[in-house]
Amino acid sequence: MNMLVLVKQVPDTEAIIRARSDTVLDIEDKYALNFFDEFAVEEALRIREKSGKGTVTVVTLGSKKAADALRRGIAMGADEAFQIEDPALEEADAFATAKTLAAFIEGRDFDVILCGKQAIDDDSGAVGPALAQFLGIPYLTSIVALEITGEGKEARAAREIEGGREVVTLPLPALFSAQKGLNEPRIPQVAGVMKAMKAQIAKIDLQALGLSPEDVRPRTKILKFHPPRKRPGVKMIEEEFPRNVEVLVKILREEEKVI
Amino acid sequence: MDFAFTEEQEFFQQTVRDTIDRIIMPRVQELDEREEFDFDLWREFAKLGYLGIRHPEKYGGMDLDVISQMIFYEELFRGDVGFAMTVTMQILMGTYFIGRFGTEEIKQKVLVPAIRGEKIGTICFTEDQSGSDLAGTRTTAVLDGEEWVINGTKMWITNAPTCNFCTVLATTDPSQGIKALNFFLVEGDMPGFSRGQRLKKLGSRSSVTGELVFDNVRIPRDYLLGEELGKGVQYAGEILNEVRVMTGLAACAIARMAMDDAKQYANRRVAFGNPISKYQLIRSKFATFWAWYEASRWYCYRCAWMIQEGLPCLNECMLAKMFATEMCLAAVDEATRIYGGNAFAMEYPPQRYFRDARFLLYGGGCHEVLQDYLGRVYLKEG
Repeated sequence: MNMLVLVKQVPDTEAIIRARSDTVLDIEDKYALNFFDEFAVEEALRIREKSGKGTVTVVTLGSKKAADALRRGIAMGADEAFQIEDPALEEADAFATAKTLAAFIEGRDFDVILCGKQAIDDDSGAVGPALAQFLGIPYLTSIVALEITGEGKEARAAREIEGGREVVTLPLPALFSAQKGLNEPRIPQVAGVMKAMKAQIAKIDLQALGLSPEDVRPRTKILKFHPPRKRPGVKMIEEEFPRNVEVLVKILREEEKVI
Repeated sequence: MDFAFTEEQEFFQQTVRDTIDRIIMPRVQELDEREEFDFDLWREFAKLGYLGIRHPEKYGGMDLDVISQMIFYEELFRGDVGFAMTVTMQILMGTYFIGRFGTEEIKQKVLVPAIRGEKIGTICFTEDQSGSDLAGTRTTAVLDGEEWVINGTKMWITNAPTCNFCTVLATTDPSQGIKALNFFLVEGDMPGFSRGQRLKKLGSRSSVTGELVFDNVRIPRDYLLGEELGKGVQYAGEILNEVRVMTGLAACAIARMAMDDAKQYANRRVAFGNPISKYQLIRSKFATFWAWYEASRWYCYRCAWMIQEGLPCLNECMLAKMFATEMCLAAVDEATRIYGGNAFAMEYPPQRYFRDARFLLYGGGCHEVLQDYLGRVYLKEG
């Protein structure tokens, strides 16, 4: 059972982000492995541990800092890591990323591909499904449970839907995107951390994947970043009960127009 | 000259920080309030393997470089200071001489389980009448046939109520002063060894501290930890370099936590129509702190580098410990001023930093003793 996990290094939730211009962001130098990707890595490790064999490979696209996402994967227990880096990928969108990953996977043998349900920086959630499309394999997004069945030929996965749980059986190979709740990601042991510190990360460029810059030309264009609206200050309602409820309803209805 | 961490060290720092954020940060207030050693947290932490960072892989350790060890200590002290004291006692002081001088049998019996967290260790310098003044050590070790007989009482011992073994500083000849000091290993189940009173402390309250009593404790001859008799004071100096840099970085961590909390408070707290962070007197506190903090932190890392390179750095490590600690004491004080009256309430964090920071004054030598010594050195050589 061989697993591939797609990982991404994203700005930490506490990093300060400012728009330098309409399309360029200044991001404070604080990065972390994407929150949802941790569930994906953990799940791959659990499948390997449960089956007692197989490998877990982590792959990412990006330059220098991106390697830390791979190191985190190794620290948690992944066997192998690949960093795909090319100047032509600097503006890569979901299409370009999926196209590149598809080329990487071609000729390699994976039964299960896992990724986070979305990256918390661009929140597009499109790379996983697009990749499955390019590979011509089934996929299921936002899973909260995964079980390998049918002697490693099938998987049973579940996701939460309104009012219940949807359980789906898919033939392998297949791609799954992880939702919070799939598992409790482990904290790396120092032995894993040391291994990650020393690990040589294999780097691959577009040429090695048989792709040209034109193949990965982004199909989307960022026109403008809009900073979120500043949160207004706290407003205390001074009146006593029950008059304060009336005031609250009036504010919600007339000022905020939310009810 | 290169002041940068390597990429690997940066990754290590980030990973340790994330680990501390996840398993210790959510429990900090509770640990302080309960004033008990948390065995569950200890076991959970021990499983991650950090207790072996400075020992060889052969014994289950990681043999990490000195800079990375110091990065670990700095991150650890961002969390609960009491827990950090127990951990650093185990990694550094409590197992130092066993790792350096213990026989293979001792290492298998004591060091290996210590790295796994199954046995808790400590080191005993201080007595009721001596601490920074090592020459005042009154605990004795007398050779009787093939055994040393240890007698005396040690005070202010981190982990005293919980320890399974300890490294004891004792004199083999009280008339010889510091020339007769040596370190010995005593195990917790040896006849004549007992745990005395536990101390109630101002800060670092989740580490348990107290008294250890040695009443005719007989230990094997090879439980003397050192190559030859009388070198104890030299060995003490060598371990104290690491202890002092670690203490300096603990000071940096506590100070930074206090001021980061104060920063959030200053941005939120409104007085005279503005957040107080808009006022120059408040801003100047942050600017002054920032300068002292950077100076302290990078001086500590310079000392760590000197230790790693094997350079003599006794004076430098003393200076770093003293400077960083004074910086921290000033910072936690400023943090309480930024919080105003709320700093006096137990539900706000500044009081905890204020109390915890005080312990830094004593470990690795009290400042009056260090200042006296360093002043003497400067006048003679500086």
